[in-house]
Amino acid sequence: MFGLIGHSTSFEDARQLARRLGYDEYAEGDLDMWCSAPPQLLERVQVTSPTGKVIEGAYIDSVFVPEMLSRFKTARRKVLNAMELAQKNGIDITALGGFTSIIFENFNLLKEQHIRNTTLEWERFTTGNTHTAWVICRQVETNAPLLGIDLHKASVAVVGATGDIGSAVCRWLSQRTGVAELLLVARQQQPLLDLQSELGGGRILPLEEALPQADVVVWVASLPQTLTIDVANLRKPCLMIDGGYPKNLDSKAAAEGVHVLKGGIVEFGSDIGWQMMEVADMARPQRQMFACFAEAMLLDFEGIHTNFSWGRNNIDLEKMELIGAASLRHGFQALGLEAAPAPSLATA
Amino acid sequence: MTTDAVSMPTLETSESSLSPEAGLLPDFSSAAYKDAYSRINAIVIEGEQEAHDNYISLGSLIPEQAEELSRLARMELKHKKGFTACAANLGVEADMPFAQEFFAPLRNNFQKALAEGNVVTCLLIQAILIEAFAIAAYHIYIPVADPFARKITEGVVKDEYTHLNYGQEWLKANLETSRAELEQANRENLPHVRRMLESVAGDAKVLMMEKEDLIEDFLIAYQDALTEIGFAPREIARLAAAALVG
Repeated sequence: MFGLIGHSTSFEDARQLARRLGYDEYAEGDLDMWCSAPPQLLERVQVTSPTGKVIEGAYIDSVFVPEMLSRFKTARRKVLNAMELAQKNGIDITALGGFTSIIFENFNLLKEQHIRNTTLEWERFTTGNTHTAWVICRQVETNAPLLGIDLHKASVAVVGATGDIGSAVCRWLSQRTGVAELLLVARQQQPLLDLQSELGGGRILPLEEALPQADVVVWVASLPQTLTIDVANLRKPCLMIDGGYPKNLDSKAAAEGVHVLKGGIVEFGSDIGWQMMEVADMARPQRQMFACFAEAMLLDFEGIHTNFSWGRNNIDLEKMELIGAASLRHGFQALGLEAAPAPSLATA
Repeated sequence: MTTDAVSMPTLETSESSLSPEAGLLPDFSSAAYKDAYSRINAIVIEGEQEAHDNYISLGSLIPEQAEELSRLARMELKHKKGFTACAANLGVEADMPFAQEFFAPLRNNFQKALAEGNVVTCLLIQAILIEAFAIAAYHIYIPVADPFARKITEGVVKDEYTHLNYGQEWLKANLETSRAELEQANRENLPHVRRMLESVAGDAKVLMMEKEDLIEDFLIAYQDALTEIGFAPREIARLAAAALVG
């Protein structure tokens, strides 16, 4: 059995969801009430692979909302309690979606293995980052040529290059895709130097210098709300893969010739029959989902019940290949640019 | 294009407030700590005594299980002794009148149900609500307890699961005939639990136990019990919400 731990994108969305699902008391409650509310197992689903294999899963809402990020103890509790609920329900492999894995990583929750009378078994959880990284690379490889960008001659900027997903994307793009040049962007210098030496290449640049030189920009960092992008200075065409969380790039980089694609999203080959992806703002919520969620399904389809993606900078190319092959085999497709990319259609 | 995503907070916006505190413990010898402890400890002692009395009373409603109930009751007296020793260890005198007042609403409801022979209500109050309350409070207390009390509480919390389990099993076996009474008893008693938690929130904070944690942990234990009894997730959320609103 697979599990997904998710949350709403805002407190207001969360209340609307509660109303829609018949949780009226939650819909009426204020943020303090939500801070005290326990996680909820909202939905059970069955998914059938094109191979014929059938798996069952559950969606757990951690009752976390991003407005709680400023409350460290609340955010930590929401994540750990949701993980405990998954384990208590006997779920073999659960993906930590949205802010869940970010909170787990940034708050160092590995130290918090004991929750009440439960010892969390880490092998039951995955960040899903390996599949996310593979999907983002695939999105670059598939969509850049559609815009007339030849990756063997192109500069690809990776913003958030030293993160778990970012470093995996850099490895793949330099060693498998063979992009002409990688522009490495991140806040801290030392991890950038380490990455550059590991890759045996790549140019370290500040964001404002990297953007005007990039044919493709992969964003895998959380974007500060205050960030503005000078679209006039971008190359045209420019493919932007918005692989961060939350996905807020389309409003910042709307311009003719700039093509923003939601990164790390996959579409399943048939309707899943769940309600939950509507809360994640998917264009086709019956089929589309975060690649990290799909990783839990893939691991369950493949019978790989282990914390496949775990810790920082452990994603190697072999793991990406393995999960990528499983992704294709079980009917997932990386989200692509919608229509023929006529520049006139690309304005927001 | 989504507009709400734009205004959504990011980790970036709150990073400055993300410094987790170290495993700090309160100053167990301070006057403020002892003052708060005199009430919290009294609640625990009174709670264990009333639990003892309630399990003995339940034996009169379920005579075929009187022996098992009497065994559970004896465990509660042992807990009471342990917690009394915790107060002595810190040189604190438990404020028993406060604790008796604290439990009055639930005690009155239990006695009323007992007089009317409403075994389902009695079980919900004692074996589910009070036990879930105790389990939550002990779990939150253990990491911030003094070493002596910590050891004692760790032993007690294991027993309380046995008690919760007793109530669960009985209600599970009798769910269909108990459902209506359970829902009514939930409506009448869960708001009391919330008020009790709120009335000790200030003292609990001095002991470094947060109200938010207490409520969520209580609800997790309560939801687990309702799941075990056989309620569906949505029914459970509705039942449990009576502790959050209203």
